[in-house]
Amino acid sequence: MPKQDSSKTKDNKLTSRRDFLRSAGNYTVASLSGAAMLLSDPKPAKANVTWEEHFQKNYRLMTDEEKQEAIERLETRYSEEYGKQVTVDGTPSIEGVLFGYALNIQKCIGCRRCVKACVAENNQSRGDEQQIEWIRVLRMEKGKFSEADRDQHGYPESFGVQVGGNAYKPAGVVLEGQHYYEPEQVPEKDAFYFPMQCMQCEKPPCVKVCPVRTTYRDPDGIVVIDYNWCIGCRMCIGACPYWARRFNWGEPNLPKEEMNPVTHYLGNRPRMKGVVEKCSFCVQRTRKGRWTACVEVCPVGARKFGNLLDPNSEIRKVLAKKKVFRLRADLNTYPKFFYYMD
Amino acid sequence: MTCYRNHQTLFGLCLLLFLFTSPLLATENQTDQECFESRDGMSQVRVREISPGLVNVKCSSTTGGVLWWGDPFAGTIPMGDMDIEADYSNEEAVVKPREPELDKNKMLTICSMACHDGNYVPIPHSKTPRPLKMHLDTVPDAMNLKHGKGNIWCLDCHHLVERTKLIDNFGYSISFNQPQKLCGKCHGQVYRAWRDGLHGKRIGMWDKGGKKRWWVCTECHNPHDVEQKERNSGFAQLRPEPAPNLPKGMVNADHERMHHGAHPDETGHE
Repeated sequence: MPKQDSSKTKDNKLTSRRDFLRSAGNYTVASLSGAAMLLSDPKPAKANVTWEEHFQKNYRLMTDEEKQEAIERLETRYSEEYGKQVTVDGTPSIEGVLFGYALNIQKCIGCRRCVKACVAENNQSRGDEQQIEWIRVLRMEKGKFSEADRDQHGYPESFGVQVGGNAYKPAGVVLEGQHYYEPEQVPEKDAFYFPMQCMQCEKPPCVKVCPVRTTYRDPDGIVVIDYNWCIGCRMCIGACPYWARRFNWGEPNLPKEEMNPVTHYLGNRPRMKGVVEKCSFCVQRTRKGRWTACVEVCPVGARKFGNLLDPNSEIRKVLAKKKVFRLRADLNTYPKFFYYMD
Repeated sequence: MTCYRNHQTLFGLCLLLFLFTSPLLATENQTDQECFESRDGMSQVRVREISPGLVNVKCSSTTGGVLWWGDPFAGTIPMGDMDIEADYSNEEAVVKPREPELDKNKMLTICSMACHDGNYVPIPHSKTPRPLKMHLDTVPDAMNLKHGKGNIWCLDCHHLVERTKLIDNFGYSISFNQPQKLCGKCHGQVYRAWRDGLHGKRIGMWDKGGKKRWWVCTECHNPHDVEQKERNSGFAQLRPEPAPNLPKGMVNADHERMHHGAHPDETGHE
């Protein structure tokens, strides 16, 4: 202890003890009042909701009343946070509906309007620090195959048994997909574009690996996430072969004026730091009969969406009449997202 | 922004920055702003408030394209007597009329009344395509018609004496609001695909019986220049939305543009 302290008078020591008790008392009062604040005032919505949210069940295991309570809590909190009337929908799957999506890769011009429409609709984080986009568009090179590039010799003399094509001399497309292409204008002459998003698999690897079962597949085919139960382990991101899931490494940046107040509990409600998110087929729209934001915004009409169980739906006509393929069908994930050509 | 976290000395700077940027932010999605739906310059839509806090469309601040429809049916009319053979008796189908868009400055109306009423300008006797060096002001691509590979010309589609109308193969007039009646004459396969919802675009409700807004041919395609030069895509080129942010620490995306060519030593094995 420093010298000057030891030379203090008795009064000073008493004062110090008194001060100590006073301050201890203050701390106690402060902590009690803090707890009281957390439970009641002065920020009732935020504090109550946070407390309740921490102890709520997995959304799937909630009773209807509990779901309603959770939704109302969120509505109150979001409305206060974003300064507008926010609705949180809890509409379950529609009976007799299995959602399917089809994308015409021959038509897609790579304008990325779907990407930005998705961000606007689904309240993704934006900005330089923490940008999240559920859709990504790959630019692919058109193949250049020529007789000269064909090599009949296979492996060079005395190596292996490969016949046709040379393992060391590529022919055709030799540029891998580009994410960050930025031409003046699209579509470009020598390119085609390949948008990817959540495939809403029938056997989703992400669901299989989730240790807390926060992500699951609803009967209408949409793979959803209960953000409150996500522990941020990112197992699902590792498991997804389509690179469809995104992780909120930081607090999401969602400007109040740009926030879409029409939300769904399992879809576009504002996310928190440390949770995974992904395309939910605009669950807040599609379960109400609306098309997804990306379908509506595509300027060339390359995107089709509908009920796979309805034989007269557009999506079924696409599957019946066009040349259709699914991405990485070899993995047996059975995506509900189809690509097609005219 | 780092401004929130850092010292107070930056506060003034942040305030200045805010003062400079806030007017820009405020202008975004401002009502009365105009943006395009599919074709830049030919399918314009004006942003307006349809209910408190809800606008009919949101525009992209970078490219000026529509990004989001608040009300997909704003400004539409019933599809009416359009020649749709499928059963749409249970569905409400609407379209956005093209005539107001095309005849904003009343040029078509004036042309029809002033000269092309069958009296002033003689009706051509021959239907052989010929270069038409006039009206480049109203039809900038008149000298560069890329429709039908040079085998068709103005009066194959436009009415002889009614410039506010199109014409079908039998001489009957077709409204500019229903261009598919004209286009379907030659492009039957595409027309049928459009009718089934496989070609083109619709917005609104996906479900059976839901209300849908149909896009008609000329909302997306430029009938004077369908081929769009060398790209031959049928759709005009436009500026893309910005690319996603590069991952932290990556300075550019050059790695993506590298062609993986032949092995340096093509003759031998390593």
